[in-house]
Amino acid sequence: MTAASDRLELSRLVHRFGLGPKPGEYLQLLAGGIPQARAKILARRSDPGLNALVTPPFPTMGQAPSDPTASAAYWKEVYDQSVSVAMWWMDRMVLADYPFVERMTWFWHGHWATSISKVTYALPMKIQNDTLRTHALGNFKDMSRAMVRDGALIFWLDGEENVAYSPNENLGREFMELFTLGVGNYSQSDVHQAALGFTGYNVDQTSGAVTFDPKLHDNDKVSVLGKRQVFDAVTLSDWIVSRPENATFIARRLWFRFISSSIEPPASLSKVFENRDISPLINSIARNPAMRRPQYSQAKSPVEWFVSACRALRVTPSKLPSSGAVSWYLDSMGQFPFNPPSVGGWPYDEAWLTAAATQYRINLAYYLVQNGHIDALTSVPKSKMVQAAADWLGVAQWSVRTERSLNQAVSDSARLALLALNAPEYLVNA
Amino acid sequence: MSPCDFNRRQFLKYTGAATIAATLSMQDVAQAASVTPLPLGTPILVIVTLYGGNDGLNTVVPYLDPAYLSNRPDMSLDASEVIPLSDSLALNGTMTGFASLWTANKLAIVLGTSYPNPNLSHFSSMAIWQSGSPIEEISSGWIGRYLDSLPRDPFRAIGVGSTLTPLLAGDHRVGSMVPISGLQVPNGSLATQLELLAVSSTQDSELIADAAGSVGDLFSLSSTLTPVLQNAPPTSATPLAQQLDVVANMITANVPTRVYSVSLSGFDTHADELSQQNVLVGQVSDAITAFLTQVGTTARANDVVVMVYSEFGRRVEANGGEGTDHGTSAPVFVAGNRVAGGFYGEQPSLTNLVQGDLAVVVDFRDVYASMLEDVLGADADKILNNWSTKLDLITPVS
Repeated sequence: MTAASDRLELSRLVHRFGLGPKPGEYLQLLAGGIPQARAKILARRSDPGLNALVTPPFPTMGQAPSDPTASAAYWKEVYDQSVSVAMWWMDRMVLADYPFVERMTWFWHGHWATSISKVTYALPMKIQNDTLRTHALGNFKDMSRAMVRDGALIFWLDGEENVAYSPNENLGREFMELFTLGVGNYSQSDVHQAALGFTGYNVDQTSGAVTFDPKLHDNDKVSVLGKRQVFDAVTLSDWIVSRPENATFIARRLWFRFISSSIEPPASLSKVFENRDISPLINSIARNPAMRRPQYSQAKSPVEWFVSACRALRVTPSKLPSSGAVSWYLDSMGQFPFNPPSVGGWPYDEAWLTAAATQYRINLAYYLVQNGHIDALTSVPKSKMVQAAADWLGVAQWSVRTERSLNQAVSDSARLALLALNAPEYLVNA
Repeated sequence: MSPCDFNRRQFLKYTGAATIAATLSMQDVAQAASVTPLPLGTPILVIVTLYGGNDGLNTVVPYLDPAYLSNRPDMSLDASEVIPLSDSLALNGTMTGFASLWTANKLAIVLGTSYPNPNLSHFSSMAIWQSGSPIEEISSGWIGRYLDSLPRDPFRAIGVGSTLTPLLAGDHRVGSMVPISGLQVPNGSLATQLELLAVSSTQDSELIADAAGSVGDLFSLSSTLTPVLQNAPPTSATPLAQQLDVVANMITANVPTRVYSVSLSGFDTHADELSQQNVLVGQVSDAITAFLTQVGTTARANDVVVMVYSEFGRRVEANGGEGTDHGTSAPVFVAGNRVAGGFYGEQPSLTNLVQGDLAVVVDFRDVYASMLEDVLGADADKILNNWSTKLDLITPVS
């Protein structure tokens, strides 16, 4: 008999550090014990699940043609690419046998939240996504250096408008407030002077290519957070990331999204991030005793719910009959990859648990079950189907309420799957 | 910016609200809604949030002020591009609807509105406006605390959209969200089984109780709202107008709702501001004027008050990209038949700046107190943490 606390901890490991179990995976991991399961989930190794996945081309679109017919085709292609880049990424999340890197990339996308609603073109977003994946478990200093020279991010925050003779504060402010230090750890003067340090970078919007123009860069000394020198984007990023507040801020952000949005992390957590290495920090979080304590529940965001459902149902998002349906449902629920509502990223927990989102989720779940595989349920006798659903989906334990609902559907396994995917214990990772 | 972008950790904690929701059966609420329609003459507040920081100076324009023109050489509006309201202030020329409300004495413009020591972060400043608490960081929205003061009712405050608007989240109660397209629920045995998932359980954590509650709310809201919304789907073209169409339909159907929340994003105009902001404030003016005109033809004409705010105004001086960076105070609009039209507060000086930005003339809590006391009949002192002053924006019912 497995301890309930093991089922809880494993449920958190597979849903928060992975992206939900594939069929059979939860019981298999449970049998091996938590230490082995944790090691597998946090492992980084070549991923056979991704072997078959072909990355679609995202060619540079160049300038829009003026001819009306050609222009319509051009903008249709731009739109189609914006959907297909998101479907491509969700395919990766779903197909990965070791989804930890994709899970971390997803976190960093919400952290450096950049939206295609302004960037417009898929290619710069794809380049940024590759950058975030490269550094997802690397060193934050390197990640930040790469991001301050990332075309999509610079364009998103008006960096190409930020020139020495007339600075634009958008990138300088959000860099300190949302990406590196947190609000309250800098002054308005620091924002202004940091903006000067970030001047001089031009972006080609369609390709995301970044060039540095020394004539547009402020070559005077500026004073940021007590240090006065001539900065460029890299030296400025290095200086700000070296501040002790950066360690606390990033540690809290990870804790917030992986463990709890309402209970503070232990004060010691940021110590493992002293060198700005992300891997020891996230590993420390995954090993924290909070992982076994009941009060640290978290709601799944719509994309997290969708990806975990696809993994369970062995559905490849881009192979569903309609990518348009998927993007419409996820948009209606409030979350689509590459399209965060603002530079602050997506909301969390209770914000997703609305009546409005519920109706779209029920319909999307129905669509997924229709197009997916539920042999995890059809292969067991009716008397064991409700428990099999918990094991299949990696749910620690159904409540009595949910068992009562699921028990009404044991003669219709597709119905049972639909209900299980909408059960409170699946929407919220206990 | 968009709804729910907050970095305040505790903002969305509304313990227990959904647990209570789940104990109301679909029949209970449907019956309550049809048996207790909102009585005629009950004031209704419609809150319009402009996300991103609307540029107050290009909305209510000091069009003759030399400092306005010199600070914004390529992005000021000249006399031909504005609608003068006084010898110093004018509306952005796209806001013809608001100009007509002004002429009819139904538009109050509260100048220089913000709070002490304005915060230039979108997220912090919007959290301050939505929590109604500039000094102390608190975890609930000001309308959420209004809901806290009353018995639980999923209809009392409704936001249009899918994700919860933080201003509707109280400590114990929470407003409901309804998408523009309305709510549709399955029927038959699936409905029965889904409703079983909404039953509260003593095993539930707070979040799991909220998840169960959201399933239950879908059924309770849908049973009342679906007929209302299906009869008149939104016909307007712009996002704000569509949201207000939904609100107008609910109001005219006597849905027992006292507060509606709608929003428009896109006001963070760091670059190429003129082309974007003119369009956006024009949409705000058109949508609200059309909405008031629509309810103005009904028996609820005198019941509706609209309040429009953004998290901050913008810097006086343009930046290099013909845009403006984050600023401080800006006008708040309050519109409706019962509104005492005119200017409140005064236009802050464009030359005598406070730390490089416009001074704060009116504290937004003076506006909120008026909405709470004179529209919602609530106790503003309590909801706004002992705030004791208010503007007289609403004409008392004679």
